[in-house]
Amino acid sequence: MNIVAVTACPTGIAHTYMAAEQLEKTARRLGHRIQVETQGAMGIENELDAEDIAAADAVIFAADISVQKRERFAGLKVIEVGVQEAIKHPEAVLGRLGS
Amino acid sequence: MTEIAFTFPLANGLHARPASLLQETCLRHDARVRFLNQRNRRRADAGSVLELVASGTVGGDPCLLEISGPQEKEAARALRAFLKLELAQADDNPPPGISASVPAGWLPPVFRGGAHRLFSGRVLATGIGCAASARLRKPRPLRRGFAAGGRDPRKELAHFQKAAGELQAELGRKAGEAREPSAAGILKAHLAIVSDPGFAGSIAGLIARKKIPAGAAIEETAARFARVLKRSRSVYLRERASDLEDISARLQEKLYGRPSATASLPSRGGYIVMAADISPSELLSLDRRRLRGLVLGEVGSTTHSAILARSFGIPAVSLPRRVLAKISSGEELVVDGRRGLVIDRPGPALKRYYRMEERGLRLDRRQRQPARTRDGRRLEIAANIGSPLELAAAWRNGAEAIGLFRSEILFLERDAPPGEDEQFAAYSQAARAAGGRPMIIRTLDVGGDKRLPYLPLPREENPFLGFRAVRFYPEQEELIRCQLRAILRAARFGRLKVMVPMVTGLEEVVLVRRLLSAAASELRSRRVAHKEKIELGVMVETPAAALSLDLLAREADFFSVGSNDLLQYFLAADRGNARLGALYDPLHPAFLRLLVQTAALARKARRWLGICGEMAGNPELLPLLVGIGFDELSMASGLIPAVKEGIGKLDSGECRALLRRALRCAGARDVARLLQEFHARSGGVGAAAAVIDPDLVRLDSASRTSGEAIKELSDLLEISGRVTSASALEEAVWKREETYATDLGFGFALPHAKAAAVRSSSIAFLRPAHAIRWTMEARSRVRGVLMIAIPERLKGEEHLRLIARLSRRLMHEDFRAALLGAASRDRVTKLIADCLREGE
Repeated sequence: MNIVAVTACPTGIAHTYMAAEQLEKTARRLGHRIQVETQGAMGIENELDAEDIAAADAVIFAADISVQKRERFAGLKVIEVGVQEAIKHPEAVLGRLGS
Repeated sequence: MTEIAFTFPLANGLHARPASLLQETCLRHDARVRFLNQRNRRRADAGSVLELVASGTVGGDPCLLEISGPQEKEAARALRAFLKLELAQADDNPPPGISASVPAGWLPPVFRGGAHRLFSGRVLATGIGCAASARLRKPRPLRRGFAAGGRDPRKELAHFQKAAGELQAELGRKAGEAREPSAAGILKAHLAIVSDPGFAGSIAGLIARKKIPAGAAIEETAARFARVLKRSRSVYLRERASDLEDISARLQEKLYGRPSATASLPSRGGYIVMAADISPSELLSLDRRRLRGLVLGEVGSTTHSAILARSFGIPAVSLPRRVLAKISSGEELVVDGRRGLVIDRPGPALKRYYRMEERGLRLDRRQRQPARTRDGRRLEIAANIGSPLELAAAWRNGAEAIGLFRSEILFLERDAPPGEDEQFAAYSQAARAAGGRPMIIRTLDVGGDKRLPYLPLPREENPFLGFRAVRFYPEQEELIRCQLRAILRAARFGRLKVMVPMVTGLEEVVLVRRLLSAAASELRSRRVAHKEKIELGVMVETPAAALSLDLLAREADFFSVGSNDLLQYFLAADRGNARLGALYDPLHPAFLRLLVQTAALARKARRWLGICGEMAGNPELLPLLVGIGFDELSMASGLIPAVKEGIGKLDSGECRALLRRALRCAGARDVARLLQEFHARSGGVGAAAAVIDPDLVRLDSASRTSGEAIKELSDLLEISGRVTSASALEEAVWKREETYATDLGFGFALPHAKAAAVRSSSIAFLRPAHAIRWTMEARSRVRGVLMIAIPERLKGEEHLRLIARLSRRLMHEDFRAALLGAASRDRVTKLIADCLREGE
């Protein structure tokens, strides 16, 4: 599966990046392709462009604050979870994509 | 008779210090001086400090001096000069160290709930004390012989004189022995009252007139003066009344004997004394090794007892009397002189919390000690300032002196130069605020790029190589003599030294030496109080000065390298020219050779050598500076904590070895590489190591709750100087925890915050001896706690990037296992630093 994801947390110092790492690591282990954009204290990094989004089957928002530039993902299947959920139970989050 | 009218200038009123300066001025001449306060119509003999103080004079009162006697004219002239120049400088400094270091209001979660009683009061002296409470019972003076006392005035007067003589001798001896300057000052102030002609005269008069016993006369006199003081509109003067009551009690004790006030205290163990008030002599009579704290009634923060508590480091809190009465004797008590709290019967969790805080404070004090290398070589760490307003920050950051006070700020942006009195006011204010610490004032350094409208200097082709600083002094002798006069006068109030900028040869130092003695002789002939001799130093900014230090030493007492200018003159590279950026590098081996030679000349001439340029505040260059052998490093005060910490990790032998290798390098880049290797080997600085070091790691921590772990890590960060207030960080971390707990669920918690109290981005790590249940709901336990502290306004993203990288690594089982299994603090530090370095 082709997945894109956005992670964001209130201070943007740690959880944003832990969730990103966890999603990347787990998705690859399960045989998916994934690209994760982080919206943290350093601003938007690894920004997903129209091409990445067009190629994706679904988007995961692992965020405790509102996701910036959310309109980019209009029309895509959306999974929304809290950051902590992505850190603690990444398999369960990815499992919600179905197959 | 001559009359001088004036308005009293001091906000704290006519208290002991200005009164004794006025008295001294009067006693220098054979004249009688009467003081009249025209607001309250009170009169005083200006020869009696006590009568002057008792006049209840406060700031803004219209006053009059009436002078008569043989030397009326001379006395009047001296007094006019005193009123104009010195009186305004005689106010006491604001009492030191009473600002609570912790913002009031927010309390950590451990304070909520529990069986303890919490009383909130005012901080008199900071610190934490925990012990059993003991109420100080003040025994009434024994009045044996008081009522029955002889009515023979001759005998009573002799009794009083004997008692006063004994007390004078005792106070004089104790003042001589006192180690803390404030204790000595208070004892001397008491001695001055006992010896005051107004005080003794009033007692003798009462004995003679009313035929009453000495004790009664003392009591009446002390009460009369105290009554006047208590009515004063100045808080400071009102608080002096307790000094008179104390002296009266001590004299009664000498006359009739009195049981000791300490009799009601427990015979062993520490104690916290509770008392509605306590006199300085009662406080001095307590066993300070056992005294853990003071809980006092409505006692002012400038009373001598409060000042003593601060100088002895005894935590003290003042509570309203009715609240004080609610706490019974013998209860366990915590005096929290940081937050202004008194806690009655603290539970085990609170006691553990305070024990951690006490330990933290002890370590913090050690951190404030003078800087020494690992092998014990001492370096003085000083601050550069441009205005007296920067002094407070300098002391807060741990400066031991002011290595460079740039005086230009007084001269810039105005149409005429500042007068002698204006400069005197600025320098003396700074000198007093330095509280005995040395301060080097650099004489006027303008010309070149800094121009003054009232100083007609020619426009120049090449101002940096032109008519600047000491070079224009011969044409502007009066301007410089005026500055030197102001400095000599202010030097009475502190350890001031002067330093001359831009010297290239001996004749320039000779010139300033001549101006300095001319300034002193002008002050002498004007009969203005000043210091006759102060140290004269040279700022080493030209290669010529650096290489002729031994010659300059004939006239100069000390030297300080101004590395910014010295470097640009030495390398012929304008430091403002961006295209020459790579050339303007203090690591140029030739420049290091110059500094080594300069230091050797200073040692040979037995002169002290400091450095006050940007090089001095760069922690990366420290090993070279230690190797060169500077006696002092002076820098912007914000850089001090990091430099002090850095010095403690260096060995001067290793630094000298490094320097020897650096001197043989072909270029600045090779020196930089050498330094980098040196730092990497010693766990040194660099961006990665700058956020973590072994002092920020604690293994086998006794913390049992998330609250204790957060507290312990916050304290570690404050102690290392990375955070200004542990409590402010704790509050920010808790606000973050309360949105949701940072327990990651893999045995790790990651408390973190961005806060204004954080000086530099930092990571601290703690491994509890017993796994912690982070929240009540938690299913798993935490075995590693990693705390991240980020400054509120972070410049650049480098540190954020490192921490993002570390957060990602924490998602990997192998990294977590390595952190939990690491055998030493150094190993933990290395694991974290390596992980960060991969990101660099």
